[in-house]
Amino acid sequence: MQEISKLAELRKLLLGMERALGLEDLSAVERDIYYAASELSTEAPGVRTTGLLSHALLEDVSRPTFFRALKSLVGKGYLSQSNASRRGVYVVNTPRG
Amino acid sequence: MEIKSLAVETVIASLCYVLAFFLTFEALMPVQNRFFPDFYSSASLLFLPHGVRVLTAWLLGWRSIIALLPGVFFTYYYLAGEKVFMASRLMGISIAVLTAPIVFYLLAKVLRDLHPAAHRTPCWPCVMGAGVIAAVAGGILTNLAFGSPVLDYFAFFIGDVAGLFFLMLFLMLLFRYGRRAGIR
Repeated sequence: MQEISKLAELRKLLLGMERALGLEDLSAVERDIYYAASELSTEAPGVRTTGLLSHALLEDVSRPTFFRALKSLVGKGYLSQSNASRRGVYVVNTPRG
Repeated sequence: MEIKSLAVETVIASLCYVLAFFLTFEALMPVQNRFFPDFYSSASLLFLPHGVRVLTAWLLGWRSIIALLPGVFFTYYYLAGEKVFMASRLMGISIAVLTAPIVFYLLAKVLRDLHPAAHRTPCWPCVMGAGVIAAVAGGILTNLAFGSPVLDYFAFFIGDVAGLFFLMLFLMLLFRYGRRAGIR
């Protein structure tokens, strides 16, 4: 595991704690998409929607719920559309909070 | 496993351990002594290095033994000087670096693998639970090695568990602040 992904794992662990303490501003599906995107972004900078949809964490999520949550994550600043690529590719970035 | 990667892990983990140690003994202990001047034990009631041990073992598994060894040795040397090579202190160092990875290993064998992995949502209460078990096991073994009074066992236990929880809380708030401040 790369150093950066260890930091990502630690961040994921503590995001769970944040949620349990009622401080996190993400729904369960949004959090799972964010986890999956963080994980996939360690392999390549841009995360494809198809990659997210086939991720184990999201296989039980319906498509309308998935796309609603994805839009919300973009709105909250956790993900953004990739400038360098076509539609359907997202970059994991820093939420605005 | 690349040597460079292991070296980076070792530097980061040991530095975090030493930092947590000094924060505990130079900043938190004076506050503890001020509020509890008659406290029977010299143990810290907020021992942050236990948190570093548990989180490092969670992230690195067996590699945490090597990664933490320089840091743990340094803190023992800082406290004991040349006496660091006494059998009891070498036992203490071994217990400090071995307990958490062994607990995670045994939990993986008996209950559930808690280490980070692809497609696995991290479970912070489980990591806390592993930390509590490591605190009990490490506390008993360390106090046996040092021949401490029984009451010290409780002080060590409280310090370890509180140290882990507050370290995680601190890191959570740090990451949260980082997100809000726009730091990647």
